[in-house]
Amino acid sequence: MKPTTVISFLGSTLDAAKFGPSRWMKWRPSVGLCMHEDLRVDRFVMIHGNLHSRLADYVTQDIAAVSPETRVERHVLDFADAWDFEEVYGRLLDFARGLPLDPDAEDVLVHITTGTHVAQICLFLLTEAHYLPGRLLQTQPRRGAPDAAGTWSVIDLDLSRYDSIATRFANESAERSSFLKSGIETRNPAFNTMIDEIEQVASRTRAPILLMGPTGAGKSQLARRIFELKKLKRQMGGSFVEVNCATLRGDSAMSALFGHRKGAFTGAAADRAGLLRSADGGMLFLDEIGELGLDEQAMILRAIEDKHFLPVGADKEAQSEFQLIAGTNRDLAACVAAGTFREDLYARLNLWTFTLPGLAERREDIAPNLDYELDRHAEREGERVTFNKEARADYLAFALSPAARWSGNFRDLAASVTRMATFSPKGRIDVAAVTKEIARLKSLWTDGAETDDDGLERWLSAEAVADLDPFDRVQLAYVVETCATARSLSEAGRTLFAASREKRASTNDADRLRKYLARFGLGWDDFRGRQ
Amino acid sequence: MIIIDGSEGEGGGQMVRNSCALSLVTGQPFRITNIRGKRSKPGLMRQHVTAVEAAAAISGSACSGLSVGSSELTFTPGKARAGDYRFAVGTAGSTGLVLQTVLMPLLLADGPSRLVLEGGTHNMQAPPFDFIERCFLPVINRMGPRVSARLVRHGFYPRGGGRIEVEIAPAPLAPLDCTRRGALLGVRAQAPYCGLAGEIPQRMIDRARKELPNWGAADFAIRKLPEDQGPGVILMLEARYQEATEIVSGFGQLGVTAERLGKTAAARMRGYLECEAFAGPYLADQLILPFVLAGGGAFTTVKPSQHLITAIDIAQRFTGRAVRLEQQSESGHRVWVG
Repeated sequence: MKPTTVISFLGSTLDAAKFGPSRWMKWRPSVGLCMHEDLRVDRFVMIHGNLHSRLADYVTQDIAAVSPETRVERHVLDFADAWDFEEVYGRLLDFARGLPLDPDAEDVLVHITTGTHVAQICLFLLTEAHYLPGRLLQTQPRRGAPDAAGTWSVIDLDLSRYDSIATRFANESAERSSFLKSGIETRNPAFNTMIDEIEQVASRTRAPILLMGPTGAGKSQLARRIFELKKLKRQMGGSFVEVNCATLRGDSAMSALFGHRKGAFTGAAADRAGLLRSADGGMLFLDEIGELGLDEQAMILRAIEDKHFLPVGADKEAQSEFQLIAGTNRDLAACVAAGTFREDLYARLNLWTFTLPGLAERREDIAPNLDYELDRHAEREGERVTFNKEARADYLAFALSPAARWSGNFRDLAASVTRMATFSPKGRIDVAAVTKEIARLKSLWTDGAETDDDGLERWLSAEAVADLDPFDRVQLAYVVETCATARSLSEAGRTLFAASREKRASTNDADRLRKYLARFGLGWDDFRGRQ
Repeated sequence: MIIIDGSEGEGGGQMVRNSCALSLVTGQPFRITNIRGKRSKPGLMRQHVTAVEAAAAISGSACSGLSVGSSELTFTPGKARAGDYRFAVGTAGSTGLVLQTVLMPLLLADGPSRLVLEGGTHNMQAPPFDFIERCFLPVINRMGPRVSARLVRHGFYPRGGGRIEVEIAPAPLAPLDCTRRGALLGVRAQAPYCGLAGEIPQRMIDRARKELPNWGAADFAIRKLPEDQGPGVILMLEARYQEATEIVSGFGQLGVTAERLGKTAAARMRGYLECEAFAGPYLADQLILPFVLAGGGAFTTVKPSQHLITAIDIAQRFTGRAVRLEQQSESGHRVWVG
């Protein structure tokens, strides 16, 4: 182990005593800390003013008597005002910089029991900032019997070393992570790890955070929870301002984001603060940031770097200080390569990047999220809806199966719960309601997610659509589309069977079409009635 | 390499000191693990470090793990060299304990040595100087060597600052039979003090006298030492027999009344007076090393302490010599080496 070096002020009051045998009946911190069996002070850096040289002599002698191992090194430091923070800090900083200290070869303890309170605070700050590369040493008189040695303890500023504090930190950190998850007991390890990381990052930085992930993965909700957490911890005031950049197309985008001056353009009838100003002191969540135009990107970059930007039509810059959270479902790196996203803005955003997995990638979290959605529904509608046991089992069996694509992620889940709740007026979701909902979801995902809406749901029930084979569905979609625009069944038949009409002498296209539609429970009246 | 588990037995400090002494005499390296493992402040304390440093200083031995708080110490002995040495001991340590570490190696070294030891001479952690001088060293001198010790200045806790000088003339240790103490020659009670009110030693004496009614008034003495050696006070009760001398002491402590110290010391003295053993508990601990190194001999003692049993165990491991401990009467025990 390394030799121990103590840096300490001579205590002009605490270390003073009547010079006589009785001084050994009194606790004197400088002498006492050299009297412990379990602390060997090899080097004692004693700081004192000229005024106290005589006291320093006595104390040095007494240290030599009780601790021959200790070499006392005296440094005279005279303060004009020992309670003046600026002077004391500055002098001590110079002292710390000039003091030969080798933390690799000596264990440095900074004694903060003596000296003025200002000196103690300065020693603490210098130690915390590593100008004094050591740990804090605290001494105190023993309680009860008078005792010359007193007691000592070392305070390590790394709080994680203290069991009870570390436990509290861990608990609080777990609480904060849970807060970010809106109290949902998620089980997906990758997701939980990511939330723990966000928790750590969120409480330590005001730098931009980038949330990636598919639509409906919960980026917006998470951004809001990060803001609420920071607000709860008093790390942030202001408000949470959210905007989807996909809605900021064209000329109005600049004005919406950065505000404008009255009369800046036609229709600018009054001053507008803009979203960045509204987020001052708080948090700005720019969802779908990949949709932002290049000009707006440049302005945003400037606003996060300099906290300044120019409202439309203004000749004076506006100021706003906010934390930016950006969301995107695009691969921004690819956008940079394609030239649609600024590289410098991407670099600025790419410091804390978190990718939220889609719901399909964290199926183990569907059950807890289902309960969460039911709770939310209850809160919103003031009416609690529950599953019966079998219905819940059926629903989860489907939800967890590969057949459930969850392409809209939590948005799909939320909508699904809303539908089931709405179709269960007695507040109890039964097997029938679940069966219908599963059919709806299936049809939603069979094509809805990948191709454009084929319009079949206009003509058929969701159950019927869900029961279609993809083979039939494509054909039927074309057929109904043709029927919908034809003036008569015969006209539709002629269009649909045009090729065979050329080859055959006599045909009944209308009859052939009627039979085909009948297979799906459709008749010509359906089309005429709805046109 | 002898490996010792420091958490076994009692007296981690004594274990370290005796191991150093035996290692220097026998030339065997050792390692102690878990030093003072069961204590609230485990590992080596300052006084242990000082003692090991002294052992290394007289022999050029190599140590690793020698620092305050260390729980493992490895000691590779050099050869003890006669010479003039000066060791200064910190406040809570004791000059006597440093002497205990280096005495055996210097007794068996190639020439006379002179030691100056500075620090505590009369403090709680160890037998006082008077005990070393009048109880322990006379036995050593009867075994062959010539060792004399002089108290130059008292050193009390917490101030320390005492000084003793020791002259050592080596000679082989001869086995000794110390099974009888002989007839009582005299008793004495002394209370040296300084830097305190004179009524404190007086109250200690008064109380001890009450407990020891057979002792005459002339057997009790208070001695005022120069102020600057204090504060400090000690009551030492001494019984001189033809073959043995025992000194028990009560150290002045803040928070403990003079009367209680006087009463406890007197009770311990009565315990010795009433038995027939040669060695009291502290002397017994200290005799193990010279007797084992002499290769024979025997002494009688009172009920063995854990310290004594540990000392025997360590000595056997370094020398391979059998040390037997036998109960002879209700409290009388006999220790012999052979």
